[in-house]
Amino acid sequence: MTTPDSMPVPPKGAVPDAAAGRDPALDPGIEDPIFSVHGLSLHYGDKQALHDISIEIPRNRITAFIGPSGCGKSTFLRCFNRLNDLLDNVTIRGDILFEGRSIFSPEVEINTLRRRIGMVFQKSNPFPKSIYENIAYGPRIHGVRDRRRLDEIVERSLRAAALWDEVKDRLHDNALGLSGGQQQRLCIARAIAVEPDVVLLDEPCSALDPLATARIEELMQDLKENYTLIIVTHSMQQASRVSDYTAFLYLGRLIEYGVTEQLFIKPRKKETEDYITGRFG
Amino acid sequence: MPLARRIPPGTRQPGGEPRRIRGTTARRRLAADRFGRWLVAAGGVGIIATILGILLFILIEVWPLFGGARVEPLAGVRDARLDPAALVIDEYRTHAVSLDRDGRVRIVDLERGVVDDELPLAGDVGAPDGPPTALAPVSGRPVVAGGFADGRVVVRTVSFAISFDDTGRRLVAPEVSAPTVLAAPGTEGRTVVRLAVAASPAGDELAVAAAWADGTLHVFHTTREENDFTGEVETSVEDRPLEPLAGGPPAALAVSARGERVLAATADGRLALYEAGDPRPSSVSGPGAPVTALTWLVGDRAAVVGRKDGAIEVWFPIRDRGETRSRIVFVRAFPPRDAPIAVLAPSLRNKGFVALDRGGGAGLYHSTSRRTLWRGEAGEAARTLVLAPRADGLLVGGSGQLALWRVDNPHPEISLGTLFGKVWYEGYPGPAWVWQSTGGTDDAEPKLSLVPLLVGTLKGTFYSLILAIPIGVLGAMYASQFMHPRLRNAVKPVVEIMAALPSVVLGFLAGLWLAPLIQRVFPGLLLTLVLVPLAVIAAGAVWHRLPARLRHRVPDGLEVVAFAAAIVAAMWLSFELSPWVESMVFGGSFPDWIHAVSGIPYDQRNAVIVGIAMGFAVIPIIFSVAEDAFSNVPRTLISGSLALGASRWQTVTRIVLPTASPGIFSAVMIGFGRAIGETMIVLMATGNTPIMSWFPFNGFRTLSANIAVEIPEAPYGGTLYRTLFFSALLLFALTFVINTVAEVVRQRLRGRYADL
Ligand SMILES: Nc1ncnc2c1ncn2[C@@H]1O[C@H](COP(=O)(O)OP(=O)(O)O)[C@@H](O)[C@H]1O
Ligand SMILES: [Mg+2]
Repeated sequence: MTTPDSMPVPPKGAVPDAAAGRDPALDPGIEDPIFSVHGLSLHYGDKQALHDISIEIPRNRITAFIGPSGCGKSTFLRCFNRLNDLLDNVTIRGDILFEGRSIFSPEVEINTLRRRIGMVFQKSNPFPKSIYENIAYGPRIHGVRDRRRLDEIVERSLRAAALWDEVKDRLHDNALGLSGGQQQRLCIARAIAVEPDVVLLDEPCSALDPLATARIEELMQDLKENYTLIIVTHSMQQASRVSDYTAFLYLGRLIEYGVTEQLFIKPRKKETEDYITGRFG
Repeated sequence: MPLARRIPPGTRQPGGEPRRIRGTTARRRLAADRFGRWLVAAGGVGIIATILGILLFILIEVWPLFGGARVEPLAGVRDARLDPAALVIDEYRTHAVSLDRDGRVRIVDLERGVVDDELPLAGDVGAPDGPPTALAPVSGRPVVAGGFADGRVVVRTVSFAISFDDTGRRLVAPEVSAPTVLAAPGTEGRTVVRLAVAASPAGDELAVAAAWADGTLHVFHTTREENDFTGEVETSVEDRPLEPLAGGPPAALAVSARGERVLAATADGRLALYEAGDPRPSSVSGPGAPVTALTWLVGDRAAVVGRKDGAIEVWFPIRDRGETRSRIVFVRAFPPRDAPIAVLAPSLRNKGFVALDRGGGAGLYHSTSRRTLWRGEAGEAARTLVLAPRADGLLVGGSGQLALWRVDNPHPEISLGTLFGKVWYEGYPGPAWVWQSTGGTDDAEPKLSLVPLLVGTLKGTFYSLILAIPIGVLGAMYASQFMHPRLRNAVKPVVEIMAALPSVVLGFLAGLWLAPLIQRVFPGLLLTLVLVPLAVIAAGAVWHRLPARLRHRVPDGLEVVAFAAAIVAAMWLSFELSPWVESMVFGGSFPDWIHAVSGIPYDQRNAVIVGIAMGFAVIPIIFSVAEDAFSNVPRTLISGSLALGASRWQTVTRIVLPTASPGIFSAVMIGFGRAIGETMIVLMATGNTPIMSWFPFNGFRTLSANIAVEIPEAPYGGTLYRTLFFSALLLFALTFVINTVAEVVRQRLRGRYADL
């Protein structure tokens, strides 16, 4: 990551608290959001990685988080399914409401939460099992035993991930034998096999060639019908191609958030403009 | 090796002075690089060479075990008067005494190759008519006997007096004793037709079995007693008549040194065994080819039978439990020879013997190992032969000549069959696997079966691994997947220090402290198997019921502290309840109870003790390797599983465990290898009894402990010494095979996860 010295650090307090009023640069006016994030801050030990972020994520839309690498996109994304809980030096302040209820409340069953909020990782991570078992893993975990139902789920998920035709003859081969792009689509299929409401995607195409990237972008458009997608990407072209809304993060802060076309064509913040015109990052 | 980086020395780089500086640094770096590479290669090759060297050394020590005997001519005597029926040779192979068919005893100097002296067998005892009618065949002992037509039997013993002349040369002076005449009432005037003679190792007892033409059988037993004060020698003779065989005088006779066992062969090839206290045979075998030669082996507990059809067989007198009389039982046969067996002569050193057939073929055999160690031609003229007392020479006699052969026969009692197969030893009711390197008596043979030691090795390994594998693997799983990192960072080094504990300390504690303790509280130990899991389940249930608020206050992975308290409490309770359980369930004493139930006595130092002590040595190794295997499972897989809503337990059992399985497998295998080779703990925590039993409450002896126990007792280069090296080789091979299999399996398993 390269951050030119000329880049002005946003002055403290420039980002108003959500409660303080509506800032058009941060609030595109989303109705019935699936997630509402309120004043979220995150520390790795003493180091603060996220600063007081408030944002609302629309239902059945694709929201993209962009920003230079190291700005906290992945960290932020992992907050939505509480995957940061695995790290022992993380402290979180603020709140995230999912369907109006805090995901941090003690009443929340974390395994159920994670079933409803799936995730696809930057580096594809199929289990060292067969293709079939990879997809069936989630449903099995959640109690599906019936072989026929599992077969159905596997086929439906693979079709939804546009992988079925390529692998239907070798469902019982090891998933590690698939190409990188196929593995990533397998991970998407695996994520939607448990019928989540939301799929979080953390730079799903960063390790893929353009053709595989195009297939996944296409796939995301199809998935939008049924799922809310949040994608982290460092590629502005990708964000502009696929997303409906885009949030720009910089140094752990939410700088600007709005409808994608508007943000790319007419950014409201100078930092955003600098970033999308490629003057840094 | 990257060729491009090799710059030939002395090559000048073009470009003048500035280049030279860079050239020298490059050259120096190259030299350092080359030196480093050389050093690493030398180290690697050195290690391989050392291991191969050790292997080679062991192989060289083991190799002679399986070689045969070397027999080569040493000396010969030609004298037309010689026509031996029996021979005696001295310990140093310098002199021989030949009992010739003309009834004369001739003393032969083997070194000079001449007949020194001769005298009539009967000497001046009366004047028997003509030459002897029967001569006792070779017994291996310095005694000769002949029977005459007048019914008398004459016995003479031979001694070789040793002295040294001025130059320190050893002088051997053969002396033939005055004749002892044996006569049985009612046999006067009847021709003696068959004789056998034997003597005790000390020479103070003689036995003669004799058969007369009418079938009468007698056994004489003479005892010489020397009065310590007066020097007077008193000889007592005991004469025992035996019931005659059906079908006339025996075809062959053999007598034991004390006369208590006589074996007689009938004309139709049956063997009749006579025992002390009964004139009737206690057992008669079935018929066979006519017996042409018969002898007891040293110790008089096995007989070798040679037959007309060339068969050579070994028979044992077996006394069944509770019986007072023995059966004569066929034990084993050797490859038959082409001609009838003429003579069988026992070795005095071991259970070996030599055979001569009528075709002049000779052979050297060993009864227990069933080996034919040598076969050769003694010549058509050969009539009899005898093994030297030290079994290092073979004297063959024929009409007009004697030939002395040197015998080099270091390890006749070892074969793969005796090391691994069931062997029927003398005095045993049947074939068995036995390790007993030294016996209670001089003529007891070493029993060197490695099978009880292999069983012991596997037993110790088994009992320690059933403890160590679950604890090691599950502990590693817990530490790497569930434990709080801060606690893990403390636990791992502590467990690894456990591995550094000298095993002699563990063995010492196990043998002297743990063994008596377990004997007292074993019921408590059993109780922990029930109460500890119950306590953990109960603690889990309580934990789950706790208000979420309270539960969330304990950091993940530190719950273990609360659980540890429950486990400790359950163990304490178990041991407190031990006496109560012992009296309620085991009738007051667990060792007595287990003895009564299983029929096997409880040993204080038993396999359970070794399991615990060796488990303690193996757990840290398994833990450490398995922990690494668990920790090396990519975090992305774990995150992937958790992100699907799997619980930590589901993630561990369904993703982490299979992925880490190659590493866990090698952890188990490394533990296995350690347990197999472990010496000190088993040495100190068991009774080292080489028994074949998988029972947990008795002892055993492992290959490694056996080497430690026996090597101080094993003379350099001896059979035991080499057998111990062989067992070391076996241990070497065992670990090698286990490690190879482990590595192959691990590579296979790993292949499945290669792309992670
Ligand atoms: N596990 C962690 N422990 C400590 N710091 C972390 C950890 N993960 C990420 N960070 C830090 O947090 C910041 C944000 O990281 P990340 O969310 O991965 O950025 P992005 O995904 O935008 O590239 C970086 O400075 C990174 O070094
Ligand atoms: Mg990232």
